[in-house]
Amino acid sequence: MGEVLPYRPPRAREETTAFLGMVVFLGSWAMMFAALFFAYGFVRTRSVAWPPPDLPGLPWETPAINTLVLAASSAAIQYGLRVIRQGASPKLGRALLLTVLLGAVFLALQVSVWTRLYVEGLRPETGGAYGSVFWGLTCFHALHVLVGLIGVGLLTRRAFAGAFSAAKYLPVRLWALYWHFVGAVWALMFVLVFLL
Amino acid sequence: MHAEAHPAGVHPEPTSFLRRYIFSTDHKVIAKQFLWAGLVFLAVGGSLAMMIRWQWAFPGRPVPLFGMFLSRSGGVITPATYQSIFTMHGLIMIFFAITPVMIGCFGNFTIPLMIGAQDMAFPKLNMLSFWTFVISLILITASFFVQLGTAAAGWTTYAPLSTQIGTPGAGQTLVVAAIFVTGAATIMGAINYVTTVIRLRSPGMTYMRMPLTVWGLWLTAILNVLFVPVLGAAALLLFLDRVFGTQFFIAGAAGVKGGGDPILFQHLFWIFGHPEVYILILPAWGFISDIIPFFARKPAYWYRGSVFAMVAVTVLSAVVYGHHMFLTGMNPLLGKGFMTLTLIISIPAEILFLNWLHTLWKGSNRFPSPMLFALGTVFVFGLGGLTGLYLGTIATDLYLHDTMWVVGHFHLTMAAAAFLGSFAAIYFWFPKMFGRRMNEGLAKLHFWTSAVFITLVFCGQLVAGYAGQQRRLYDPYQYTFLSHLLPLNRWTSYFAFALGISQFVFVYNFLSSLVAGEKAEQNPWQVGTLEWTLCPSPPPHYNYATPPVVIRGPHEFANPDVIKALGRDWIGQTEPMPKVAAAAIKPAAGGAKD
Amino acid sequence: MEAAGQMKIIVGIKQEIRASAVAAVLVLSNSALAAVQPESGLGLPRDASQNGHLVDWLMNITSVFNIILFTIMCVWMGWACLKHNRNHPAEYDPGSSKHSVTIALAVSAFIFAIVDGNLFVNSINDLDREYWNFEKVAANPKTVRLEINAHQWAWDARYAGPDGKFNTEDDIVTWNEIKVPVGAPIYVELTSTDVIHSFYLPNFRAKMDAIPGQVNRFWFQAKETGDYDIGCAQHCGTHHYKMKALLSVVSPEEYKTWAAEASALAKRAFDPEDTAAHWGWDWKEL
Repeated sequence: MGEVLPYRPPRAREETTAFLGMVVFLGSWAMMFAALFFAYGFVRTRSVAWPPPDLPGLPWETPAINTLVLAASSAAIQYGLRVIRQGASPKLGRALLLTVLLGAVFLALQVSVWTRLYVEGLRPETGGAYGSVFWGLTCFHALHVLVGLIGVGLLTRRAFAGAFSAAKYLPVRLWALYWHFVGAVWALMFVLVFLL
Repeated sequence: MHAEAHPAGVHPEPTSFLRRYIFSTDHKVIAKQFLWAGLVFLAVGGSLAMMIRWQWAFPGRPVPLFGMFLSRSGGVITPATYQSIFTMHGLIMIFFAITPVMIGCFGNFTIPLMIGAQDMAFPKLNMLSFWTFVISLILITASFFVQLGTAAAGWTTYAPLSTQIGTPGAGQTLVVAAIFVTGAATIMGAINYVTTVIRLRSPGMTYMRMPLTVWGLWLTAILNVLFVPVLGAAALLLFLDRVFGTQFFIAGAAGVKGGGDPILFQHLFWIFGHPEVYILILPAWGFISDIIPFFARKPAYWYRGSVFAMVAVTVLSAVVYGHHMFLTGMNPLLGKGFMTLTLIISIPAEILFLNWLHTLWKGSNRFPSPMLFALGTVFVFGLGGLTGLYLGTIATDLYLHDTMWVVGHFHLTMAAAAFLGSFAAIYFWFPKMFGRRMNEGLAKLHFWTSAVFITLVFCGQLVAGYAGQQRRLYDPYQYTFLSHLLPLNRWTSYFAFALGISQFVFVYNFLSSLVAGEKAEQNPWQVGTLEWTLCPSPPPHYNYATPPVVIRGPHEFANPDVIKALGRDWIGQTEPMPKVAAAAIKPAAGGAKD
Repeated sequence: MEAAGQMKIIVGIKQEIRASAVAAVLVLSNSALAAVQPESGLGLPRDASQNGHLVDWLMNITSVFNIILFTIMCVWMGWACLKHNRNHPAEYDPGSSKHSVTIALAVSAFIFAIVDGNLFVNSINDLDREYWNFEKVAANPKTVRLEINAHQWAWDARYAGPDGKFNTEDDIVTWNEIKVPVGAPIYVELTSTDVIHSFYLPNFRAKMDAIPGQVNRFWFQAKETGDYDIGCAQHCGTHHYKMKALLSVVSPEEYKTWAAEASALAKRAFDPEDTAAHWGWDWKEL
């Protein structure tokens, strides 16, 4: 050592920095969701009955399908990462498109769950802590899915336009990490809120 | 200077006025933007404090000057208005004054410069963090113009008082939204600081050669990344309760199907809230841990110990939060656990104190204004820290909880120490930031008046609390057991007014020095850190033309070899010794043990 | 029609009796027109409690330690600033030698052990033996049980009456005034219906939050008779500052007389249809 390094580090080092930033960013979001799960655990353990009498119970079938849907979409985007490392930009585009479609399926199925429960009488303002937790957590998570859909959607367009190559696909890595995070939060929510 | 003449920097030099001063991605410009915003809101928060003190000194009398904002009641503070005044005083001071000044300004300014980087890791995100902060300022300001008034549930915003049951109207909702938005801005900034320190240290700048300022700000950023989101969750759920009728925090008569749990809010809030107080003091600890050795002309005593102490406080800060909730009826075992951990967290603070005192001892101490403010910080933090012992111990907290003793304690440790620490930083880095010198005589006057009055005001609060006066009372003298405290409160208010007036010395000094201060040289303080030794005052937009190669720590003072070889008592972090004395040069290998 | 009209009159009379019963209770308790004595000086308020001296002692001994530490800090700083000034050559000592580090850690540990240790040990003892020792209080036959309902902006108190059960006909319910006998433990359960309040007895060094949806408990014992302030110690809205009440500590005989009369009055005025007045709850044992 002793020679002066150039100030503009090679791309790989810059990409590590961006990736680290993304990890820190998701660390923050993880803490926020952790706090929300803490809130859920807190009100649930202190409640006498969950669900309270004469409020509908939560279904597990559609949410289970949704868990598989998101898992598949994570697999799709991961496959996309694999193919772009070999330089196949159109293949990446198709993988990202599949991710987006599966994400849209997730949201559609969520809407069906929301509608059914709303019709059955579970409303945020009359459901007590139970209703508040269900609506609060699922809507907030869905918002994150929506943001992910928009982001990955834009990536899809760029991928089909040939913007990415084997040497240049950092945004795909970053959004993939985000997408996996959103899926992991859902998996946890499925187990803790819908199954338990 | 043309762009091509420089090496490829992080971003080319901006040319338009908008890009240079408004939508800038240069960390130094963003730092100044935060400084201006923070100082303006410091004045707003301070004015609100003056109004509280007026009400306690002269209950029910029209407020001079600020009474013009209370035209509906003829200049008199009503009980309803009073609630908003103390609420907004706390919120503004914490989120919109101290945070932008210490963290937004000095985090942004010092971190890249002190580690040898050309800018933060994510300059565009940095710019976004400032403008997001501005949105929260707009929301806060808007809340004052709402019909039922602004937030009124105390800065702690406890539910159910902070729900529509306790505080109806759009004002409180706007403030909850503002807190969420400013939290987002803080997290954006924190992501930058954390990543920048990890990734952009220049060659040879190992963790153990970083100035303690950077340590303080980096640990602050880590706490921000981890715990501001918890505040975000609390704010989000409260927002849902207020706007969508959910019941996370509502119980009692208004509870539906059993309702939620008000104590949940306290848990979420304090899981954030306790780390927050360390967020607000770690930067100040960092500043003074550098400034004291700089002006003692002596190495920082047991540098590693100070680092470990700050890290220990950071780690422990998350597990002591229950001491704010000792009287909520929590499980006794949990209470005792929190008490134990709270007492333990005093050990790292003791280490820091011993290090500061030892640095001064047998030094060659000089007292320019940054040093005076640093020593003032040590003084008030010592006093304030000791008063915290009574609050961390449950048996004594039974009496002191929610009295003015608590207020005196946190004002000494948080307000006074952060206030004096911020001014230490302002006076110290002003030459580097603005290329000019501030008037030293006025600076010393500002110090002595501020330090003396701030100590007197907050000691007055401690005395009132010891006598049993509760917090947040519009008219304490309603209670027979407090009716004799009017003279005490009145004198405390006089000292507060004096403190307020003495800030004009700073305002005048700051503004006049900006336009007409004498030009600053590169290294007026004669210290060895990178920003003073390697770039002019102010630095160019790219900071350093080539990455500095660091070969020693930041506090190399009074080394006899250096004095012999260079004829001065300091040597820069990148400066080689002229004679090849093997003992003085540390190899520039990264991760070298120090 | 006749019956309905008669019913109305009876209900009306019942309401009148209830109102006058409440008034009578207040008048009986205000017999010696209550006066809280003001404090003086800048110290702690007078201590009228059995256990307050524990708190006071702990605070004062800690203050002694703190004053010593703070003085040492000031002398150290002052000496260093005055004597080791710019004319004094700085010592090149980074303080990282094993010797220096050992001293720093030893001094910290010593201060921690003495000051924090003293606080810790005494606090645990005070809590376990007295303040949080509800078993002892529950087992004491002299204990007077009290339920308190806090709301914006007043304190309702409920005594069980001779039947020993809360929320029954013979409960005495008072408003902003609590009468207790001297020398007996007063065991309080408290809650709130709207926002968080905090029941505060400055002269008894006692305080406990009243939280909606939750029942908290604490206890205190008076050692001298007199009138004392009850305050609210948690911001609860616009009139938080006015949410005060009166604690009257009387002799056991006076208390017995008052309780018997008040309970009899309450029984006569009991209205089973007034559900809002039946805010009490079955006493929750630990």
